[in-house]
Amino acid sequence: MSNFFYYKTSCCTIAKKTFLKYILFLFGLFPLVLYVDASAILTAKANHDHIKIDSFYAGSTVSVAGFSQQGVDLVIKIVSPETEQSFRKKGKIGNLLWMNTGEINFDNISSLYFLHSTKKVEDILTAEERDKHILGYDALQRHARISPAPVEGASNWFGELVKFKESSTLYSVDYGKIACNTKDGKQNYRIVFKWPYQASPGDYRVSVYAVKDGKVLETAESKVLVEQAGAVKTLAGLAKSNGALFGIISILVALSAGFGVGMIFSKGEGAH
Amino acid sequence: MGLGLAVGLLSGLFGVGGGFLMTPLLIMFGIPPMVAAATDSNQIVAASTSGTYAHWKIGNVDFKMGFLLLVGGFIGGLAGVRSITILKALGNADFTIKMTYVVMLGIVGTFMFLESLSSMRKKKVPAQPVAPEDSGFTRILKLLPLQTRFEKSGITHCALIPVVLGFLVGFLAAIMGVGGGFLVVPVMIYLLKMPMRVVVGTSLFQILFTCIEVTFLQAYTNHSVDFILAILLLLGSTVGAQIGAIWGRKMKADQLKILMATIVLAMTVKIILELTIAPSILLAQTGGH
Repeated sequence: MSNFFYYKTSCCTIAKKTFLKYILFLFGLFPLVLYVDASAILTAKANHDHIKIDSFYAGSTVSVAGFSQQGVDLVIKIVSPETEQSFRKKGKIGNLLWMNTGEINFDNISSLYFLHSTKKVEDILTAEERDKHILGYDALQRHARISPAPVEGASNWFGELVKFKESSTLYSVDYGKIACNTKDGKQNYRIVFKWPYQASPGDYRVSVYAVKDGKVLETAESKVLVEQAGAVKTLAGLAKSNGALFGIISILVALSAGFGVGMIFSKGEGAH
Repeated sequence: MGLGLAVGLLSGLFGVGGGFLMTPLLIMFGIPPMVAAATDSNQIVAASTSGTYAHWKIGNVDFKMGFLLLVGGFIGGLAGVRSITILKALGNADFTIKMTYVVMLGIVGTFMFLESLSSMRKKKVPAQPVAPEDSGFTRILKLLPLQTRFEKSGITHCALIPVVLGFLVGFLAAIMGVGGGFLVVPVMIYLLKMPMRVVVGTSLFQILFTCIEVTFLQAYTNHSVDFILAILLLLGSTVGAQIGAIWGRKMKADQLKILMATIVLAMTVKIILELTIAPSILLAQTGGH
């Protein structure tokens, strides 16, 4: 009896264990289901993604919008291709005068770096994830290479780079400005960026990251193209292909303008 | 255009190119230094053409003197550029440039300011007309050969003097990276003893040719002239130069001199502050010198 009872109990226990395993397995699959679900939902579209630099260009605006799964945080990054950039370094000479003390080069950095997120990136992503996707100034600093290696500390000079770029409105890291609302079980998001006139022509990559539990669940990409157009394009082409002719044209136009205005004024004076 | 108008006004009023003011302002607005300097040269061509034309119409340009200064300035400019290359190789170009700025502008500004102030004070007290006494320097100049009459300025000098002085101005201007208007104007007033009314027009005539050369070289070698930006600037500066020339005619020579001295001294103070106060950002764009 006791054996039978033990057997029965044991059978029940095995059945329960198997059942629990199924349940656990299904629960284990659940995040994966969510992950797949998120990847199917996240979209990104940059509106006004073709910026034309014409004669009276003074910057533009770019909006990034799309859908994501509900309940995820979003990080939007816009960057130009990575290059090496050189700057003059200022330092104190003789403990008295501030002067240029040489050059410093930053490699693996973008000339434009915009990062906007629903919350502070440090609060929603682990350091590993931030480094992996280069999200935030800390991650960007760890990714960048500075040469010659500064004696005074790399972080100081990277901080100066950020200050320089922010003053030119080419770098920006901010949070809480992405407008989100829920519709048909999806989260709509939208953000508008002021596009600086200092941003040079080229391709800019827009990356949107759906974030949950400290990790990036999914990314979606778009791009912004900035190019010269009309007279600006023609003149830039001429300046590069035939500098001498471009120089002569520039001088002739300046001389004509000077004489033209001079004659207008002298006629004006003659009338009095 | 507003920026161009303001700088053109200075140009027509004092006979300076205004590069010392315009280039830093353009850099402040995010224009790369090399493009700012090259584009500024192009717009100065327009402003100085407009200013020279205005002064020529009223007979205030001494072409003979301007040409001789230009010859010296051209040779001096080449020597100055060569010196900068050597100084850069030695690693102390920046120090030399800044110190040249402070010393030159400080001396020129202070001298002009004090001289015009004392001259204005003297005029307030009615005195018997006294024939101007030649300084020792002027007496030495008169002993030199190749004495030439400069009709427009009403002076006689050895023809080599403007060439040598033009050389010095061109040399310093190349080291300082400027057109040299604020150096050539005091040289004309105090060393060549030219009347103020002719100084402004002649200085503009010289600046015009210097800037034509710089614009061409910048466009040809560095492709750094921004044509559209230059057009916007010159629309303002050509008009400003005309207004400056009209105002200049209404002002007395001493008033003009003291105003220019004030601007030169303000520039000196600005450079001294830049040298002594810690900059907010310790990085700057490369380009220019």
